[in-house]
Amino acid sequence: MGITDLMSMAKPNPESRARIFSKIRRRELANCFQCVKCTSGCTALKLLELKPHEIIRLVDMGFVDELASSDIIWTCVTCLKCIQRCPQKASPYHVIIALRNLAVEREAKVPEPFLKAVSQILETGMAEAVQKVVTHRAVTFDRESLGLPKIVVPKDTFQAAFLKAMEEKL
Amino acid sequence: MKVAVFWGCCILTSQYSYEISVREVFPKLAIDLVDLHEENCCGDPVKSVNDFAATYLSVRILALANQTGLGNLLIPCNRCHFAISEAKKLMENDDRIHEKMTGLLKEEGLSYNPDIKIWHVIDLLHDMVGLKSLKKATAKQLKGLRLASHVGCQLIRYSDLGRPDDAELPSKLDELIAAVGAESIDYPEKLDCCGAALTRSHPDSALSLSGTKLKVLQTLNIDGLVVSCPECGIMFDTKQKDASSTVGAKLNMPIVYYTQLLGLAMGISLERLGLHLNQSPVEELLKKIPA
Repeated sequence: MGITDLMSMAKPNPESRARIFSKIRRRELANCFQCVKCTSGCTALKLLELKPHEIIRLVDMGFVDELASSDIIWTCVTCLKCIQRCPQKASPYHVIIALRNLAVEREAKVPEPFLKAVSQILETGMAEAVQKVVTHRAVTFDRESLGLPKIVVPKDTFQAAFLKAMEEKL
Repeated sequence: MKVAVFWGCCILTSQYSYEISVREVFPKLAIDLVDLHEENCCGDPVKSVNDFAATYLSVRILALANQTGLGNLLIPCNRCHFAISEAKKLMENDDRIHEKMTGLLKEEGLSYNPDIKIWHVIDLLHDMVGLKSLKKATAKQLKGLRLASHVGCQLIRYSDLGRPDDAELPSKLDELIAAVGAESIDYPEKLDCCGAALTRSHPDSALSLSGTKLKVLQTLNIDGLVVSCPECGIMFDTKQKDASSTVGAKLNMPIVYYTQLLGLAMGISLERLGLHLNQSPVEELLKKIPA
């Protein structure tokens, strides 16, 4: 089902709209005049049919709940061309990030690797697990055999502070 | 001169060739790198989950940099550089965020310093070291090498944030390539994204972005692609074979980090530049380098 189909059944929700507006802070979303520069340069347009100008308009009209539970917000490549080229200082990138945060708060479907990154950070401080590298000559190297310094995991106080930060819903 | 360095997860957990070459090249240019103590993720992947917590992770890196007592922080990853630059700007402009962040840092016994200057490999070499000194440091000029540059997205956008190079017409990496005697060609797809950020939600589409760009590059009669971001390195070098099958082509494009290329011009051995760790066929590029 496309976004347009979703909208035909939906009602605007002013409260959700206000949440996104507060999340994106001073960005001038309401100034968007639909010039479509963002969409015409969007990396995810050809591949995954992301249309940033539609997202901006839908949020402004209050169709936030539908977007927060839609897959489309997870197609953004975060190449930042939309915000760079917007003549009105509306930032589709920041709106999409705000929608993703709302999706997480509402426990909508969120691609699992994002949540895995959070748990990995809690465990080791890093978002990725340490890997070995195999060369063309089939020799396996790790940090130690390459003579690279050992990674030191942050103390428990880091975990506590990060968890506290995760509780904030600005 | 001493400069603090924050590597970020991609470099520390897999892009060892970048780390090795940065560690090798900078001291030879009279820049000694000081690692942060107990570093964490820059926060970028967390932005999609909780923007506030992501900002905390970024701010914490600046606080760790403050611990070193140094005024300059090198961040060789585009994405980390972007996340931390955004957090820094937020700390400057949003009193509420500033108050909450400094409170959290205090619980960890850390403190924030607004005066730390953030650098990437590209502007540190181009603006701080300078092209003249760089040329002087080379033992041989890499004449005859025809290369393409890939700057990456987050290093140049968005301009309001203050980025190391121009958003639509970046030139510093090309000038750096020219400084070691190689040619950096111009091509229409120069600003096309590597796709790395889609890996967590649409891994196949991510590979089709990197694969499509590599396919175009292979028609340009070049000796290799120069990158300067570990995520771009993962997409173009580490995952080049996976990208081949995604776009249905045989991809065999040598990919090198700029610091590896610079190291070659400085006469440093292949292993000390981590060139044995690249997954793409870098031997093809090495063959073209004049003895």
